Amino acid sequence: MGDTELELSPAQLEDLQKSPSVSSCASTTSSFSLPSSPSSGQRPPSSSSPSASEGLPASNPPLDVISEGVGELTLVIDPEVAKRACQEVLQKVKQLKGEGEVSEAETKHGLVNGTAAHADPADKEGGVAQPAKIHEEEEELHPGTVKSARRRQKNNSSKQSWLLRLFESKLFDISMAISYLYNSKEPGVQAYIGNRLFSFRNEDVDFYLPQLLNMYIHMDEDVGDAIKPYVVHRCRQSISFSLQCAWLLGAYSSDMHISTQRHSRGTKLRKVILSDELKPSSQRARREMPQPPPPPPPACPVPAHLSEHGLSPSKRTHQRSKSDATVSISLGSNLKRTASNPKVENSQDEELSSSSDSLEYEAGTPVRLTPQREFIKSLMGIGKRLATLPTKEQKTQRLISELSLLNHKLPARVWLPTAAFDHHVVRVPHTQAVVLNSKDKAPYLIYVEVLECENFETSNVPVRIPETRIRSTRSVENLPDCGITLDQRASSFSIVPNYDNDDEAWSVDDIGELQVELPEIHTNSCDNISQFSVDSITSQESKEPVFIAAGDIRRRLSEQLAHTPTTFKKDPEDPSAVALKEPWEEKVRRIREGSPYGHLPNWRLLSVIVKCGDDLRQELLAFQVLKQLQSIWEQERVPLWIKPYKILVISSDSGMIEPVVNAVSIHQVKKQSQLSLLDYFLQEHGNYTTEAFLTAQRNFVRSCAGYSLICYLLQVKDRHNGNILLDAEGHIIHIDFGFILSSSPRNLGFETSAFKLTTEFVDVMGGLDGDMFNYYKMLMLQGLIAARKHMEKVVQIVEIMQQGSHLPCFHGSSTIRNLKERFHMSLTEEQLQALVEQMVDGSMRSITTKLYDGFQYFTNGIM
Amino acid sequence: MAQVEKKAGLLRRTSSSKKPLKEKVVLMYDEIFAKDDPAKSNPRFWDELFLMKVNLEYLEGKLESLDGDEVIKMKDNINSLFHHCVQALSEEHQIKVVNALQTLCALFRGVHQKNKSASGFDIINMLMGFDKAELRMKDLMESLDSLLCGDGSESLKSLCLKLLLCLVTVTDNISQNTILEYVMINSIFEAILQILSDVSSRGQHGYDAVVLLALLVNYRKYESVNPYIVKLSIVDDESTLDGMGMVVHKALTEYNRQYKEKEEENQGGFFSTLTSMVGSMFIADAEEKLSVQTNEAILLALYEAVHLNRNFITVLAQSHPEIDVAVTPTTPVPTTPTTPLGTTPPSMDMMNSPELPLDPNLQTSNLLITFLKYSSIVMQDTKDEHRLNSARLCLIILTCIAEDQYADAFLHDDNMNFRVNLHRMPMRHRKKAADKNIPSRPLVCAVLDLMVEFIVTHMMKDFPMDLYMRCVQIIHKLICYQKKCRVRLHYTWTDLWSALINLLKFLLSNETTLLAKHNIFHLALQVVNLFNMFITYGDTFLPTPSSYDELYYEIIRMHQVFDNLHCMVLRVSTNAGQWKEPASKVTHALVNVRAIINHFNPKIESYAAVNHISQLSEDQVLEVVRSNYDTLTLKLQDGLDQFERYSEQPKEAAFFKELVRSISLNVRKNVSLNTLSQDILLKEFSSIS
Repeated sequence: MGDTELELSPAQLEDLQKSPSVSSCASTTSSFSLPSSPSSGQRPPSSSSPSASEGLPASNPPLDVISEGVGELTLVIDPEVAKRACQEVLQKVKQLKGEGEVSEAETKHGLVNGTAAHADPADKEGGVAQPAKIHEEEEELHPGTVKSARRRQKNNSSKQSWLLRLFESKLFDISMAISYLYNSKEPGVQAYIGNRLFSFRNEDVDFYLPQLLNMYIHMDEDVGDAIKPYVVHRCRQSISFSLQCAWLLGAYSSDMHISTQRHSRGTKLRKVILSDELKPSSQRARREMPQPPPPPPPACPVPAHLSEHGLSPSKRTHQRSKSDATVSISLGSNLKRTASNPKVENSQDEELSSSSDSLEYEAGTPVRLTPQREFIKSLMGIGKRLATLPTKEQKTQRLISELSLLNHKLPARVWLPTAAFDHHVVRVPHTQAVVLNSKDKAPYLIYVEVLECENFETSNVPVRIPETRIRSTRSVENLPDCGITLDQRASSFSIVPNYDNDDEAWSVDDIGELQVELPEIHTNSCDNISQFSVDSITSQESKEPVFIAAGDIRRRLSEQLAHTPTTFKKDPEDPSAVALKEPWEEKVRRIREGSPYGHLPNWRLLSVIVKCGDDLRQELLAFQVLKQLQSIWEQERVPLWIKPYKILVISSDSGMIEPVVNAVSIHQVKKQSQLSLLDYFLQEHGNYTTEAFLTAQRNFVRSCAGYSLICYLLQVKDRHNGNILLDAEGHIIHIDFGFILSSSPRNLGFETSAFKLTTEFVDVMGGLDGDMFNYYKMLMLQGLIAARKHMEKVVQIVEIMQQGSHLPCFHGSSTIRNLKERFHMSLTEEQLQALVEQMVDGSMRSITTKLYDGFQYFTNGIM
Repeated sequence: MAQVEKKAGLLRRTSSSKKPLKEKVVLMYDEIFAKDDPAKSNPRFWDELFLMKVNLEYLEGKLESLDGDEVIKMKDNINSLFHHCVQALSEEHQIKVVNALQTLCALFRGVHQKNKSASGFDIINMLMGFDKAELRMKDLMESLDSLLCGDGSESLKSLCLKLLLCLVTVTDNISQNTILEYVMINSIFEAILQILSDVSSRGQHGYDAVVLLALLVNYRKYESVNPYIVKLSIVDDESTLDGMGMVVHKALTEYNRQYKEKEEENQGGFFSTLTSMVGSMFIADAEEKLSVQTNEAILLALYEAVHLNRNFITVLAQSHPEIDVAVTPTTPVPTTPTTPLGTTPPSMDMMNSPELPLDPNLQTSNLLITFLKYSSIVMQDTKDEHRLNSARLCLIILTCIAEDQYADAFLHDDNMNFRVNLHRMPMRHRKKAADKNIPSRPLVCAVLDLMVEFIVTHMMKDFPMDLYMRCVQIIHKLICYQKKCRVRLHYTWTDLWSALINLLKFLLSNETTLLAKHNIFHLALQVVNLFNMFITYGDTFLPTPSSYDELYYEIIRMHQVFDNLHCMVLRVSTNAGQWKEPASKVTHALVNVRAIINHFNPKIESYAAVNHISQLSEDQVLEVVRSNYDTLTLKLQDGLDQFERYSEQPKEAAFFKELVRSISLNVRKNVSLNTLSQDILLKEFSSIS
């Protein structure tokens, strides 16, 4: 019976879900405070300043962020105490509810919270670290919140219980948590949610990390205080989370005035993270996270190493570990940092306190965050330097040479943050990198060879394999030869008369290898020629002359050239076209073949676009919205197709993008193929009736519908063909969300239509009267209805990011209102359908789309 | 130069005081060359000796002037001097170390100059005494090793290297330098590597270290196991190899830059052309001015690295910014006075900055590009022996590169495009190609261009047959790779085809003179076989179907040359004589070319007759070719895509012996200059101590 009472009906739930934004929330929740009083035995609430009744500010000033950070370091957390604290929180909840139903509620709570909380201890580190946060929080929050909350609690117990029930229900998800955190003005609620964050899955919270951090930076202290423990806790757990936080904090603080920025909470937290004070405390590390054997201290005497290296195989590992240590310190632009003086060089980084630094080095373990930061820094450095070069060709050459230098420092404990799995970067196939099309900046695309591993923080960094793998085996063969002692060598003079003879021995090897490799490489194409070589060998024996027709040779030549898959021609002005057109699988295979690491089973190829000089915060926002809509459509089973691509914001003017594989821009398609889009589809996928074409067409329609809605909802502008990709399966993918919401390019008033729909697109869909076109419109309608249902989830993402932001997409005051209006909450489904019809019609007929394409053609040469 | 000045200074002093005034150190030398043990009268004799500034001329002169009997009497004292020198090397007093190093230098040189004919063992006996030689040399090498690897003064390290260079080059033929046996046993290889791996020490001593290594590798290379060869072949530490590459790169770049400067000087403006015209009336060969002395030592080092160490191949493609723009060294390295290029360690300031400089005008370059440019300069003029040797070595290095699979892979890498400005000889019948117009292409195009350039420019009376053979073989090796790996290179193959046909033409027209000296049939066979590669395997590596048509067009157009060649080889092979066999091989190789000519010529003639055209255009001929392939049958020849791998022994052994000898002489000449002018160094230490 209690159960039924507890379960909230969907209607209620929706009510509650919306409530925060409906402004009634302020009053409803104002007195809600119960779970925020997790009093522990250590510090009873009564002891804290009783005078602070209303104003938290009164008690807050002494809490300095930096001093907190220091305090955290010294704080020794006893898991037992922490556990008790957790239980006490629950106790409080029970007491405050006071009713009989509480017992059920508690069990429920225990379940919801428990699933995560108890899962954590398995992941040992987390289990211990988590309670620590609760401690911290207690210390910070006690002075004001508990008291005031207590006082108010009685008046509104009925409303609270509703809210509490929601919070404790299974349906309370991260999206709601964020929403309440943002909208609630009540410190108690905020503190509760701050605590509650620990119970969500890491991946779920990670999605909202930009929102969390933006709130941390730009909203009032209470919100910040609620969020901080969670962030600190996660930073301790993970290097990659730490860096992610630091980057985002930096990026979202950048809009503040420079003087306030310096002292802002965000900047301070960023400093704490970057100073690596948030590393797992040393005892814990020793007890629970067995480190790989620490590399020898970087300052090891070099002569010893050199005189030994290369002489015996066992010394190789030693050498490697040395370079491992150096890499971790000196990766990137600071190549001159040598093993002997890491300290000197490191001191240039003003963010690292020298004391912790020297400690690190004495302990012999490299600074946790340094390798990755250096890696990213050197990638950005390359971008900056490329931007100064005038031509694409020079840029490409320079890029290749810079990357080849970078290769020297790999493998290292570095990774691509855009990847979905843990790995170490082992090599950058530098010749594959391309400079992307951009007028004055120099974004570039690199491919990165990685080795998948269990945990990049603890797994050993792979051993370097020299570029010329074939040769190294030869060197090994010779090792015993040179391992002989001096006496032996002296006595062995003239035993082997000629060293060069050995050379002959392997040259044979090499030839053998070449011949073995050949069939593998070209299995698919005709094998006439390898047959020929066989023929020529046999003919030698039989002495029968072999005759061939000249016509055959000529024919084979033209056939082979015709049979090679359609590739784009090399264009020095557009080097990326060829690289992007090559099918991903083929590229992976090709690079794997040429890589010394290719034989390893956990070898993977990743790619990333490095952007330097571009603000990716809007891209990140768009990614979040797309991702949200994608999951909404998935949840509502609407087959709309979109492809959100990952964005990594590193600062307000740099970042990385995960490239969409197997896709080229429609501009490139048209320029290279000189065909209409429909003809290109026919060329790539086959005739109208073939299954391949129909599949591609369906994909095209679904993606078109998806992106049409996106473009409408987000008001994505600057939609020329260079910004729309076409993948190998027929999907279109919109990229470049530089102009969304309230901003449009140069405010020329172009592109007034809802989205871009050209006749070419309609042609691919089979014309205006085709079934597919109707399907397209139907999909849009379904998509819009689904999106409308979950509008809050979408709007929330945007709304929070508006805080403190000077991004052009938030220009003006009506951004959010307009966004909400585009969901047309008030329309009936029939009216919505009419709206879709109208929008499609409008876009079709839109003269501005055509005009804009023409404009782009004239100004940027984009077709 | 410094020597002369010093002598002048001495002279002046003597002339002013009229009486020969002897330095204290000279008196002490005299004591050594007396029969008694100098330490007998003065127990602190040796301590004091190394505090004195060394007088190298005197010491060397004294050693030289000794005759056989005296030497034997002196032996104990000289042994003792050597012994104490070695001991002084581990002194704390750096001034003593410096003096000991210089004294050792003088000892090695003096003893050898005197005893040119003496066997190595006598020399060892004289310097160290047989019984103690092993121990002494072990101590010496260990001291040098620790000096080179230690944190001590850079000038001291430089002096150590000079001493080693001096020791290595005391004999003309390095393999006769028996003392080096001890250097083999007590290897300083690791010290050399360490110098190369460290950025700053590489900058200052890299050049000497690389030259020293190149020479040591050549010690009794063919007769015994040289540990330096073994060790060099297995080095896989990238920073070391890269360091070696940087040193070579820098030296070659410096050469290229100097050449360019001279070239620009020569062509600068009207006035200079006028003066050079006037000048050329007096100087026999204006070209002389352009020849900058080549640096064979560094080229040898490059060869050894490429040939012995396969990991080094990666270094070739390692990109660096081009250092063509003169980066003037602001402060010259104190220990190295300016000497003619080819021996001066180039200023290494570029190498000290590991970051690529940010200059948009700088083209990225790599060792291979620099080497190709260097080769293009060196190959221009092969008249004098040094340049001929350099050109030969360049081609040998290219042969090694062309054989290496990894090198081939990056040569043909479509993503690694470079503009390579090769130097082209100014010739009457062609204009100098504008530098800017060179397209950015895979590196192999530059190699092919270089080969074509060589083929076109060296058809002269004094025919460099050997170089031509290497050149054609390099092309063959590259094409074999392309065939195997099906690389379709977008190269203007017609350039190569016409160059090769012209070469055949030249061979034909100079048959009699050339046959007197060379086996021209061997070269002709190679050339014809290149055509056979294109004819029979063209489908595997030609870029387009029309390029195959163009091949036929070119053969048909120049059919006269092939006809004549066929006549010639037929004539020679029917006569009995030494050329019978090689000539008949060419006859067989020509089968397909002749089949093509015989097949298409009548077709073209009839086409012309039918259409009443006297002169067919290229397109019309191509049309005839295209439509008549099917009736043509070709014979598949054996082993077209097989080649003999390069091996140094035995074919090249003599060349390398001679080369090393000339390098030794050159290094010795220049090292003496350097070691003698250590005044600054001495000052440095005397002010410290």
